[in-house]
Parts: sequence; C-alpha cells; structure tokens
Amino acid sequence: MADAPDQVSITLDGRVVEVPRGALLIAAAIEAGTYIPHFCWHPRMKPVGMCRMCLVEIDTPRGKMLTTSCTTPVADGMVVETSSPVVKKAQEGVIEFLLINHPLDCPVCDKGGECPLQDQTLAYGPGDGRFVEEKRHYPKPIPISDLVALDRERCILCARCTRFSEEISGDPLIEFVDRGNHVEVNTFPNHPFTSYFSGNTVQICPVGALTARPYRFRARPWDLEAVEAVSTVDSVHSKVSLEASMNEIVRISGVDCDPTNQGWLSDKDRFVYEHLLADDRVVVPLIANGDGFREASWGEAVGLAASRLADLGGAVAGLGGARSTNEDAYVFSRFLRGVVGTPHLDAQLDDGLAPEFAAAVEPRALIDDLDDADAILLWGPDLKEELPVLYLRVRKAATAGAKLVVVHPRRTGLDDVAAHTIRYRPGEGPALLRRLAAGEGDLAEARDALGAGKVVALVGRPGLAEPAELAEAVAAFALTLDDARILPLVRRGNVFGALDMGLAPTLLPGRVSVDDAERRRALAARWGSLPDGVGMGATDILEAAASGRIGALVLLGVDPVRDHPRPDLARRALERAFVVALDLFVTDSTRHADVVLPVAGLGEIQGTVTNLEGRVQKLNRVVPPPGQARPAWSILDDLAAALGSELEADAVEKIFEELATLAPAYEGLTWDRFDWAEGRDGVVVPLEGVTPPLRHVPSDPGLAVVSERPALHLARVLYDDGVLVRHCPSLASLAPEAAAHLHPRDASVLAVREGDRVRLEGVGVVELPVVLDPTLAEGTVYVPFNLAETAALGAVPSVRIDVVREAGS
Amino acid sequence: MSSPIAHWDPEYQRRAATIVERYPDVRSAVMPLLYLASLHHGHVTEEAMEEVAALTGLTAAQVQSVASFYTMYKRERVGRYLVSVCTSISCFLRGADEVLAAVEGATGVVDGETDDEGLFTVEHVECIGACGGAPALQVNYEFVEGVTPAKAAELCRWLRDARPEVVLGDEMQLLFGGRPSFDPGAPEPEGAIAPVPAFGPYGSARPGTGGGR
Amino acid sequence: MTERILTARMEAHPADSHTLARYEATGGYTALRKALGEMSPADVAAEVKASNLRGRGGAGFPTGVKWGFLPEDLRPRYLVVNADESEPGTFKDRILLERDPHQLVEGIALASYALDVHHAFVYVRGEYPKPARRLQRAVDEAYEAGYLGTNILGSGFDLEVTIHLGAGAYICGEETALLNSLEGRRGEPRIKPPFPAVAGLYAKPTIVNNVETISTVPWIVAHGGRAYAAIGPERSCGTRLFSLSGHVNRPGDYEIVMGMTWRDLIFDVGGGIPDGKALKAWIPGGASAPWFVPDEHLDTFVTIDDCAAAGSMLGSGAVVVMDETTDVVAAAHRIVKFFAHESCGQCTPCREGTTWMERILWRILHGEGRPADLDLLLDVADNISPGLRWPPAMTTICPLGPSAVSPITSIMRYFRDEVEAKITRGATVG
Ligand SMILES: Cc1cc2nc3c(=O)[nH]c(=O)nc-3n(C[C@H](O)[C@H](O)[C@H](O)COP(=O)(O)O)c2cc1C
Ligand code: SF4
Ligand code: FES
Repeated sequence: MADAPDQVSITLDGRVVEVPRGALLIAAAIEAGTYIPHFCWHPRMKPVGMCRMCLVEIDTPRGKMLTTSCTTPVADGMVVETSSPVVKKAQEGVIEFLLINHPLDCPVCDKGGECPLQDQTLAYGPGDGRFVEEKRHYPKPIPISDLVALDRERCILCARCTRFSEEISGDPLIEFVDRGNHVEVNTFPNHPFTSYFSGNTVQICPVGALTARPYRFRARPWDLEAVEAVSTVDSVHSKVSLEASMNEIVRISGVDCDPTNQGWLSDKDRFVYEHLLADDRVVVPLIANGDGFREASWGEAVGLAASRLADLGGAVAGLGGARSTNEDAYVFSRFLRGVVGTPHLDAQLDDGLAPEFAAAVEPRALIDDLDDADAILLWGPDLKEELPVLYLRVRKAATAGAKLVVVHPRRTGLDDVAAHTIRYRPGEGPALLRRLAAGEGDLAEARDALGAGKVVALVGRPGLAEPAELAEAVAAFALTLDDARILPLVRRGNVFGALDMGLAPTLLPGRVSVDDAERRRALAARWGSLPDGVGMGATDILEAAASGRIGALVLLGVDPVRDHPRPDLARRALERAFVVALDLFVTDSTRHADVVLPVAGLGEIQGTVTNLEGRVQKLNRVVPPPGQARPAWSILDDLAAALGSELEADAVEKIFEELATLAPAYEGLTWDRFDWAEGRDGVVVPLEGVTPPLRHVPSDPGLAVVSERPALHLARVLYDDGVLVRHCPSLASLAPEAAAHLHPRDASVLAVREGDRVRLEGVGVVELPVVLDPTLAEGTVYVPFNLAETAALGAVPSVRIDVVREAGS
Repeated sequence: MSSPIAHWDPEYQRRAATIVERYPDVRSAVMPLLYLASLHHGHVTEEAMEEVAALTGLTAAQVQSVASFYTMYKRERVGRYLVSVCTSISCFLRGADEVLAAVEGATGVVDGETDDEGLFTVEHVECIGACGGAPALQVNYEFVEGVTPAKAAELCRWLRDARPEVVLGDEMQLLFGGRPSFDPGAPEPEGAIAPVPAFGPYGSARPGTGGGR
Repeated sequence: MTERILTARMEAHPADSHTLARYEATGGYTALRKALGEMSPADVAAEVKASNLRGRGGAGFPTGVKWGFLPEDLRPRYLVVNADESEPGTFKDRILLERDPHQLVEGIALASYALDVHHAFVYVRGEYPKPARRLQRAVDEAYEAGYLGTNILGSGFDLEVTIHLGAGAYICGEETALLNSLEGRRGEPRIKPPFPAVAGLYAKPTIVNNVETISTVPWIVAHGGRAYAAIGPERSCGTRLFSLSGHVNRPGDYEIVMGMTWRDLIFDVGGGIPDGKALKAWIPGGASAPWFVPDEHLDTFVTIDDCAAAGSMLGSGAVVVMDETTDVVAAAHRIVKFFAHESCGQCTPCREGTTWMERILWRILHGEGRPADLDLLLDVADNISPGLRWPPAMTTICPLGPSAVSPITSIMRYFRDEVEAKITRGATVG
C-alpha cells in the first residue's frame, strides 16, 4: 500500500490515489481532482454532515454504505464511489429537498451567478420540481445588524454562519431557532449580530440568505473585476480579493491564505473600501488659502512645496509612511534622507514600539507558530480590537489546547478561551512582570503554563498610556523560557514595511542600524548623500516643529493630531511649521497643511507590504485612482525633481528592484516572485542565506513602576474615529459610545453611578459618561482612544477625575 | 452588578443555585433553569431567556436556540391549565381526535391557542407514553387516561369551575379517567402548580422537595 | 412462561412497591451489598456479559459488549440512563420508574460500580413528571440510606446521581441527541463515530443504557448472569416488557419471556381484538418498525432475530394493534406526521422529506391524491432510505428520517389497493 508514512492510498472511482493520512475524504478527493458537491462542509470549520450533499458509497464488510465524505476520515485501502447511481440519486434527492422551500429568485438575488446551490442544481439536480404545495414563507430580508441582512426563505440551513460565530469568532449571536421543518437561523430579539466578523458569514453562506447591506444590489457577480491584494487595515495583512464594478471597488472578499487569515476577515477589512468612494476625498492638489484650501495644478503645488523645502535647508522632518506600500515608504525614506538631507523621520507616532525591536526582534515568531504552540503569552493590545484576524488565530490555537495567558488591564476578547487571565493597573506592569517571572503567589500557575514546550509571546502595548519599553521587557522575560518566539504587535497597516524601509531615526532600509558604516556607504553610492547622525523621532520632531527649530514637515498618510499621544503638541507643531501632506483626506492634521497632494489608495496602486511577522505580499490594482490622485512615490519623484534631484522612481517594479538590492532584509526578492505559486502566500524576509541584517535581542530596560491613581488605560477600539472608519459610512456608525469606564468599587468611592458624567484631565480635558466595568483593574480608568469625544485627552499615566454634579443636585 | 435573577423569589433563587451545582458543566443547567424561569415568568419570555443566559454565561441567542428546540418551553403566553391531548397513533386509533374536539368545545379554545382570560391553553401533542390508556391527555403534564370525549369535556368544565390550585393526576383520573396504561399503585400526593412539569425543583406542589442533588 | 423479573414486586405489592421500605423488605439492595462486599467491578461486568442481556432501548445491542467498549485509560466516565421513552406505543419505562424506581437506582449503582463511574444521569422525558418525582424520591431515599453518595455502604465507592428532565423532543431518545440535550444544547444527534463509549457526555467515555436494561442488572447480579441467559431463547434471552396498545382488549405493559408467537401475544396476552373484530395489522416494535399482517406473521416468533428476519424489529417492545376498521392511510399519516414533527431538522432529507411525505399522505387522505402520488411517495421515501430495505439504508445522520418510511412501505406493500382506491375515489369525487 502507500509508502510514505503520512500518506494512505484509497480507490476513488476506480482510480488509486495517495492522500494525506487523517484527511477528510471530501478534502482528499477534491485535492485528488474529484470534486464532491457539498454545502455545509467548509474546510476551515469542523464538519457537521448536515446537508447530506456529499454522500458517497464506501465498501464495508457488510456491503456498500452511503456515508458523508465530509465526516469520514480516509483509511488505507478505502474504496469509494462518488458518482454511482445510488450516490447520484441521493444527491438529486438532496437538491430537490433543498429546493422545496427555496425561492427561485436568482435573478434578483445577490448570490445569483456565484451560488453553489444554483451551480449544483444545474450539475447534480433533478429536472423538475415535484413539490406542488406552498413553500415556506418568511418576511423578506430582515436586517440582523447594521451590516448584514437575512433572508430566511433562501436559507438552506447548512449552519455555516452559526458555526462560524460559535466555533471561529466566539460570539454566537446568530443561531438556529425552532426545530425540524420550522428551523430557521436568527438572532435574539434586540440583540443584533454585532460581531466584528459578521461579514465572513455572508461570504461563506452558500446561498443568498445572508447578504452584506453595504453591497446589496450594488453589482452582479459576472460584471465584477477582481484582483488579489491584502488588507492594509492592520498589520496582519489578510489576503483579500478586491472586486470592482464600473471602476469602483464594491466588495472585498477574504481569500484563504494558510499562513495568515485562512479565509477570514474582520468587518473593518471587508467594508473599508467605502472610504475610497467618499465624497470629500482629496482628488486634486490643494493649496492653503486663508482658512481653507484652493485647488491647484500639480505644477503649482509641487513647485510651492519644493521651493519652501529648499529654502529651509535641512530643517525639515518627515512623518508617516506606515499606511503606504513598501515602495512608497522606500521612496519617502530616500527622498527625506537623500534629497532633502534630513535624518529626522519616523513612521510611528510614539504610539508603537521601539523601531529596532519591532523590525528586527530575534527570534521572531510566525503567525503559524501559534498553531503548534504549547503556550501563548499575550501581553499587549486586546487583539479583538486591534488585530482581529490574529485574534481568530489565537482563539483557534487556544481552543485546540494551547495554554493561553492573557495579561491586560481589563477583560479582552480572548479571556473566555484563556487558561489564565491576569489583570493589572497600567503603570504597574514592570512589578507584575517581575512577579510573573518569579511565579509568585497567584501567578505560579500561569508561570508554570509558560514553563514547558513551545511558547509564542505576543507583545505590544496594552494601551497608549503605557511605555513601549514594557513590551520589550516582556519579550526579554519570554526569552528566559525554554523555547519562545516573539511576535511584536503594532497595529498600523504597513508599519513593519515602513520600518523595514528605514522610516525611523535609528534604522536604514532593510533592518540596518543607522550607524552601520558599510551600509551607509552602499546607500550613499546610490542615493548621492546621506545625512550624518541619528535623527529625531516623532515626539522630538513635533517639539522641534512647535518651537520653530524644524521649519517644515512632510506628512505621508499620517494624522498626528489624532494618533500621537499628545494631540495638543501635534496641533501646535502643524500650526507653526510649513506642512506638505500626501493624503487621501483633509484630516484634523492635514487641515493645517500648506499643500495637500492627493494620493492613490488601496486597489488603485500596485506595491508590496510587509506584515507583523515579516511576510511580504503584493497588492494589485483593480481601479484607477480618482481625479488627479497618484501613487505617493510618483509625487515624491516630482518633488525631488523640483528640488533638482533624480529618484529614478518611475515604475513600481523598478523601485522594488532597487529596494531589494539596497535593503538587506529584502535581498533576493523579485517582483515576479509573488505571482508564482510559492510566492502567492507571500514571502517571509529575510530569505534564508542572505546577508544577515540587524538582529535585535530584547533586553529588559528596567522600567520604574508608576503607581499613581487613577491610572489611565487608553486603548484602541476596532471602530474608532480614525480617518478610514470615519469615511466608511457603514462602519462609522458602529463606533462605541465614548465613556469613562470605572471599576464599580472605584465608582462607589467617587459616588458615581453608571451614566453620571465625569471630567477627566490628561493632556487635555474631556467630559464623559461613566460605564461600570467589573473586569477592569481597580484604580484604573479605561477610555477608548481616538473617538471624537476622547481625542483631546491624550496619553498620560494618570488622570485627574472630577465628578460633574448637575447644578442644583 | 446584581444577579440577573435578583427579582425572583428567594425560593426560586435557591433552586437556581442548586440546579447549577448538580452538573459538572454549567451549560447543562440551561434546561432546568428554563423551566424554573418559566415558572417565575409564566412562560419562557425573552426576559427569562436573558436571565438564563446570564446565569450560564451563554448568549441569549444560544439560550433561545435551545429553548425553541423543545416543545415544552412555551414561548407564548400559556393558560393556567395546559390541556395536552395526545393524537399519536395509539390514541388516534382509540378516538383521540374526538377527544381533542370535545376539549376545544368545552373550553372554547382551539388547538394551539390560549383563551383571553388565561385559563386554558389547548394543544394536541405527540405520544405522551400513555398508549395503554388511550385516549389520554395531560393537564399541566399530569396524566388522565382512558378518557372519552364526554369525560374530557366534563374535566374541562370542572377545571373552570373548581379552579384547583394544585392539579392532581390521581384526582382527575378518578373523576374523569377510565382504564389507565397500568395499575397506578399507591396514590400520588404531588401535583402541578403551573403549566410546567411538577418535578422536584421546577413546578412541584410541594416546593423544595426532591431535586436537591 | 410466567417468569417475573422486573415486575414481580409491583405485582405483589401494588400499594408501596416504589418505597425503599418495601424494596428492602423484598430483597432490594442485596445485590449491591453483595457486589460492593464480595465482587470486583470486573466481576459485576462479567456477570452482565454472561447474561447475554441485550439492550431494551430499541437496537438490542448486547449490554456487556457495549460496556467493554469503554477505553481503559480515560476518566471520568459517565453512565446515562435513557428514560426519554417517547416512541409512539411505548410506555414500559414509565411503569418501571413509577412503580419500582429503587430497582433502577440499584441497577445504576451496580452498573456504575462495574464501570468505575462516579456520576450517573437519568434523562427522563419532560412529560413524565410523576415518574421523575418517584425516581427522585427513590434517589433521595437511597442517598439517605447510604446506597448513593460518598463511601457507599462503607465500600469507599462514591456515586452521584442527577435526574435531568427533557422538555418535549422525541429525538432526545437517540443517545447522542440525548447527550447534547444533557449538555444544555439542542437535541441534535451527533455523527458517529465517535461512539458515546469513547467520547460521550462532555466528550468523556459514556455508557448510555435504557431504563429497562439497567433495571435488569440487580437481578443479574443477584442470581448470576448464567441464570439470566438460561431464560428463554438463546439470542433473545431473559424477560422483557412489552407495551400493548391500540385495538386490543387488554392493553398494558406485560413482562414476557420471549419466544412465544405474535398470535399468543396479541390474542392470549392482549386478550384479542375488541368487539370481535378482525385483526388487520400490527406494529411489532414501535412507530419506527415496519408493520406485520396476520396472513404472514401471526405465527412468527417474538424474538429479536425472528422479527428481524421477517423484515421488522422488536425495537422498544411497543406493539400497536389495528383492527379491520382502521384506515391505514390515516394511520400511516399519523405516524409520518409524528416523525415530521420530531425531526431535529439537521439533515436535509429528514427535515424536508418527512414533511413532504406527510403532506402527500394528507392529500391522499383528503381526496386530493393524484395517481402519480404513489410513485412520488415511494421515491421521496427512497431518497431518505435508499432501496427501501430493512434494516434501512440511510441518507441521514440518525434513523429517525428512515423511520418515517416504515409506515409508507408497509401500507404500499400490504394495502396498496386501499391507497389507490382513496386516490381514485378522490379523483372521481374531486
Ligand atoms: C430516533 C431514536 C429514538 C430513540 N429513543 C429511545 C428512547 O426513547 N429510549 C431508549 O432507551 N432508547 C432510545 N433509542 C435508542 C438509543 O439511541 C440507545 O440505543 C439506547 O438508549 C441504548 O440503550 P440500550 O443499549 O440499553 O438499549 C432511540 C434511538 C433512536 C434512533
Ligand atoms: S435523521 Fe432527522 S432526526 Fe435524525 S439527525 Fe437527521 S434530521 Fe435529525
Ligand atoms: S458537506 Fe457533507 S453533509 Fe454537508
């Protein structure tokens, strides 16, 4: 029989094939080229064998037996028939049964044209319906959330949506109701399907029962043009298909990429395309004009920007690039260092991690490492809010048995699958870390859980009021364990790519330290020159700009007024400096710009991006940019030319080639590589055998414990008031209420109840209603970051709370 | 945070606590808690399902999914007397349809409905395990076997007039029943106090008895 | 043939057979004392194996063999007693619960001891509050008296028993649906394998047995497995309870040594057909079973194997008798309607097919049938149970869907002319 130990051989319709041991028959058959029709089976979920479409005949000692191939693991020597007369009749029967109650409204159904039921009816169904009675009737589509509508008449009860919600996303809000012939799928009255992942159910619904409200009736599948890309909403880079109709992206679907998203997306990934179509998108160059802007030609706008930058000599700094492609970031890096001659540049806004740590931590984990980890330490952001697709992977690993230890100031989305949850007050992280490392008291069990086997440590900043160095200290602890790997967590789209392109004061392109002489020479040879010394990071740049030491700021897709921990400082800096902004929108930051240059967005450009594990993937273009918008690299090329320099950035492939030559971590990559099978899922850099770039081994910086009360926990939520969400009508309405969350005991000390208002003083002052949260560490106020009402607060270790007493009470 | 069942009477609260204790996994308590909640609310209201969800850590949608699977969790208002007439094969062969019609006639309530007053709910049900005493019915899940259409109608009128606080199977069987499935042996002191099965922790006429384990 | 094992006590002491006092006074709990005192768990299991007892829940699977399927090394293990009894025609577990609950409790304690189980559950259907109360009282008494709880009879053996009430779903009698229900989920059958013995309640090894099966264990332990095996025919040994209902003079529960003929059972035990009417057909083993007719089956033996050989089953021991006045289409409709109502709804063929068959029968019954309906009916049935053979092939997860096919194949086989007549008459009238 089969030779390889992990293979078995089966006879499939008379053909002997080798298939992976333990595989489900349906998957093995499809892999071997024999399609078995199915509805309920989904390769990323446990089989339930409910629809009965995948029946096959298997030889048993008692004769042939009909069985569902989706629930049957292959066994060596198994003899299977997938299209015997008995199988065919059973499949026809199933289709006929399904059509009994299914409306024949394909022409008006969103799914028409890409519907498994429609396709399989043609392929495997009987000729005519013999059911003469009345079909089941329900009111036509009912909204079950702001994003999803449900048409129960079309539902074939495959339980894909309900299983996804329970098994994959962990928020079972959509369920079977009733029994037998009355079964329907539904939510609980007044408990809408508010999952961050609801769009996945729409995508995996094999009929048009669940539809995405933003997409309904927008297009017909056959006039969609689709390309592959990855979602740049966060740094996981889930693989997507961008689907356009009449030059507009109308849908984003998840694509199954085994190492990253495995088919799933967050709703933010899925519906974020709406911002590309926003009315107030900047589509022509703008020049400041009193309180507002006037439209200008490219020549005028670039000319103005270049002349002011030239006047200022080196007193220029650059911020941003973490939302752009690697090519944009590389050109930005070269533009700032090589053309403008400034060492002051930063892709992060002091809201992330130390650049060398984030870019070059050693040993770095892959997302895949979660799957066979024995234990997972998560001390960082609430993944469900910040990196939702990574949340799904951790959830999967924890459900499958990995011991998950979650350290966070309040309940996170993963607590229900965690083996240990540890709470602490922000500021006291260093002390907690020492106790955890020593396995003291109630931390002994958690420490033990981390003690044996393979550990993946997911480290980042739990909130913006905590120092970036804490994450490095946690990583340093993890490295004292036997077999640990680190996955650094920073959320913003292509922040890892931007750091890899040298958009940090301490880094040169390709994970190289800024004082690596040999590398400096190589770069200077190509770039012409390179400024000396280590430049300033974001906060110093803003301070310098606010005080006039820096005269001009070039912003590339960055919103410091909203994203920097000190919004007041950012505002003062932008007000004082000459500002050139490359952006999609006039934001709270670019409002202060002197020149705004319209850039192209997702799906409008090609390029590569790098995710949090260092995986480089390619974005493709499906629509042209609107109006006069252009790729950032091309705008920077014009600016450079106006400054009398040549960047040679006239095609994205060429830029990529240049960066792959000059950035050591990217050495050996070629543009075409992503189009071939082995590169389709991206390529993790650095490749084996290339010149080793910087390797950063974390060390504990020995942080002081700050234990002022009340500590501030200021953390991001998925739907905030950031630029992208604000410009997606379907998502903007989902932002949570701004509130000051207090532990009930703290609230009772303050004598406030839920709904009372408090004034919080941090960098700025905000007034918010109180929400009681018994899962929050005592002595802490939790405030969601970057909502319209919370934006002014800023990130400080501790805030002052005053109760707002109603006049007369 | 106060308990979701803080407004239940203390006896029910105590029972809820003992129910959860009896299982290795709290989710197993969903079914008994649904009975308890419907005893408190009269039927399985949305509020009841939300309370059970809070007690078991499930979502309300999950509780609804479970509750709606089982016919005895009534999600609509139920009368004080739930008259369930078996119409499955053995009772059918012995005239169950006529019994159901007589019950509908005597109560003025059609199959599946509840009267305005909230006195009667009438339903036909599948086999209740009284086939030897067919045709049979239950009032609040207490058996009456070997009925005739006339006796069934009489039983309904009696319920309307006497309005027993506690529904006792033996009493009804004696007054309105015929041949039972088997000799019942000794009389049974317990009966139902609501249209919820009178078993230990849920709807017994002797609250607090049994079910402590 | 008057051996009484399960019903002797209730027969002799109708007033108080359900009480601990009477149970003890008539030899109750001596088997448990004996087992805990002198026998190892393996000894107890060996007696059950030797008894050749076959499960009384329907499938007739040898109990000792099933117990042997528990994996050696996995703990905890659970015992679940199936008291969901909901198959139309069946009311035998009810009498055991109401009239001799301590017999079951002792059986649970013995089985648990044999299987190294420390928490047993009894799943009683919701419509059985009185049986549940009687059982609960027996359990309470047993705890009081030290037959349950910690350190039972000083042996060091601990056992907790929890009674769980169903809530109106026949499908929960299917063992894996029952386990889901007990876990607080919808009562939907699970895909097998894994079988409960390997991964059952809370995914732990679990033995599911019927009330009657477990109630038999005390006698087996007291008298020895071989004594039990010696009663009645070899492969249908022992006694078992039959529930007689429908058109018989003396419906009720009867404990019988298998091996008599159907004629004996219906006419002698059941007292024949009321009002001197003729026997038309009977269902030998609950609503799921294909029917028998007098011409072919009156002299068939009442054993598990003879019944199977004749194309039906003893199932849950429910015999439903139909006299000559019975409208077989109406009877079949009633049964199909039951299964349609009780389908859990997971499997497409069962959820849609049972309802469709019910509607076709309804049409025929109400004079709206069409000639093509006969083939349609059989074809829909065939799509649930391919080949329409017995034991049934299935396109479904559990046998509920295929069960709904039994009445249809039965009337088409034995009474096709009657069905056709309904259609023709309907067509001429309509
Ligand atoms: C649809 C269906 C309903 C069933 N109902 C019952 C039941 O009510 N009681 C019962 O003991 N077994 C019932 N069974 C059989 C059980 O699945 C299981 O085989 C039995 O409880 C095992 O007990 P035993 O080995 O003692 O017979 C049913 C099976 C099916 C498929
Ligand atoms: S055959 Fe019917 S009852 Fe059984 S699992 Fe399938 S749908 Fe449920
Ligand atoms: S795909 Fe196998 S039963 Fe649905």
